[in-house]
Amino acid sequence: MKSISLYVDIQSPIHSIDPITKLIYTLVFILVPYILPHYEIAISCLILTLIILLTAKVIRQVIPIVSLSLLLISTIFIIQGLFYPGNSITAFKVIGIAFYHEGLRYALGISLKFINLLCCSAIIILTTRPSDLIEALVRLGLSPKLGYVMSSVLQIIPQMTGTTQKILDAQRSRGLETEGNIFIRVKAYIPLLIPLVMNSLIETNERSMALEVRAFNSKHRRTFLFEKKTSKKMLVIRYLILVFLLGAILWRFIK
Amino acid sequence: MKKIVVEGLSYKYPLAKKLSLNNLSFTIEQGEFIGIIGANLSGKTTLCQALVGLVPHFYHGSFKGKVIVAGMNTMEHNIAGLAEKVGLVFQNPFNQISGAKLTVYEEIAFSLENLGIPQDEMIRRIEEVLELLDIHHLRAHNPFQLSGGQMQRLAIASIMAIQPEIIVLDEPTSQLDPQGTEEVFKTVQQLSSQGVTIIMVEHKIEKLAAYAQKIALLHEGELIDFAPPEQLFARTDLHKLGVRPPIFTQVVKGIGLDNNESKVPVTLKDTYEWVVKKFGHSGS
Repeated sequence: MKSISLYVDIQSPIHSIDPITKLIYTLVFILVPYILPHYEIAISCLILTLIILLTAKVIRQVIPIVSLSLLLISTIFIIQGLFYPGNSITAFKVIGIAFYHEGLRYALGISLKFINLLCCSAIIILTTRPSDLIEALVRLGLSPKLGYVMSSVLQIIPQMTGTTQKILDAQRSRGLETEGNIFIRVKAYIPLLIPLVMNSLIETNERSMALEVRAFNSKHRRTFLFEKKTSKKMLVIRYLILVFLLGAILWRFIK
Repeated sequence: MKKIVVEGLSYKYPLAKKLSLNNLSFTIEQGEFIGIIGANLSGKTTLCQALVGLVPHFYHGSFKGKVIVAGMNTMEHNIAGLAEKVGLVFQNPFNQISGAKLTVYEEIAFSLENLGIPQDEMIRRIEEVLELLDIHHLRAHNPFQLSGGQMQRLAIASIMAIQPEIIVLDEPTSQLDPQGTEEVFKTVQQLSSQGVTIIMVEHKIEKLAAYAQKIALLHEGELIDFAPPEQLFARTDLHKLGVRPPIFTQVVKGIGLDNNESKVPVTLKDTYEWVVKKFGHSGS
């Protein structure tokens, strides 16, 4: 059983970049098109992000995510094209219903930002092991308890799915009907609930004891198995990205 | 040197009507290998938990008496503070996996990171326990993908890496095959000979009788006996107390060779020597 994550386990220059730099990139490049609402900015951010995704060899995983969002995007185009408050110039008509220029332009802006948001998030999600990201955040001062909750959820939920399957098999071997129409299948889940909830409570109780015994609440200053020094190059990149953000904010206020 | 001092320990879980531990008193010396036996509900697990401070800090409930482990009174220190001196391996290895780490290697490091052990020391200790418990080939595996026996070894390794002065093991071999069981006993005995104090709850009586220097027999929360195995298994009321003596002792008793002596053989080797002493060599 694997942990729930979309991480693509391959080698690439992007994979080897530290999680914090990638996180900063993602956040800044999501924000900038909002700070400077020009198509050119959104398109350039998107192109740069796509180049990074190509370098990371994960572009194939991005395509389904983006295509799924096309449904949402087409709704935005239809609704804004028809009902945007500033609509005045008709762009085209479909069976007598007019779509307006202003609305479509507005929808294009939203869609570009949205696709950019998806692609930027894909960089951090697809090329960073969740545990690495959480560990990096804990190093930066995130509470280790919160970090534990975040990383354990990713591993423990698949375990619970496994337990559900085991209980289901056990109930089935005792004659529980689990196949048939939707009502039968839904009904089959009711006898699963009590053992599953009880099981999870017992497991959680034991696991918290085990964590105590493994000094999770220790007052010592935490150390890390993999001591990571951020390279100078990465620091420069981080500062450049932040300067970019600052520049965008300044430009916004000056104009 | 006394490593564990228990004085008048009584404990009742919250909402429980009966005492789970009833007025227990005993001392354990450094480097001793102690076994704990008893029927179900005799208080074995509760006693283990009392030695690491889970009772009463985790469960609360009513606690009387004193437990001092490695010079620390469990009432005065929190569980994490005690964890450096005394480690506990639980019955179910699955629930001991932190769930926050993706590989066996990192999983062992979990407690060490919590304790602030420097990186190079951490790596040295992890390599050592990986070798000792023969799980070095699993270092890159996901802990949840291991078999029951492998998980059990990992659980033991994670505690051993802390290098506590006392290790309490609650049925650590329940999911291991005979060979795995033997290896765990050997490893634990080796630690004991290095000065680590070992307390082990175990149902595999023959093994425990062969390795433990003393055995504590619990029954309904009371400490019935605390003696070397040869002495403890000479008792005639074991059956009533819900435990069976090792098979070798049963054979000797069964054919009436023990003559109600205060010591009985508990291992194959002892039994052989005992028989030889009684009857002389088979050849002669």
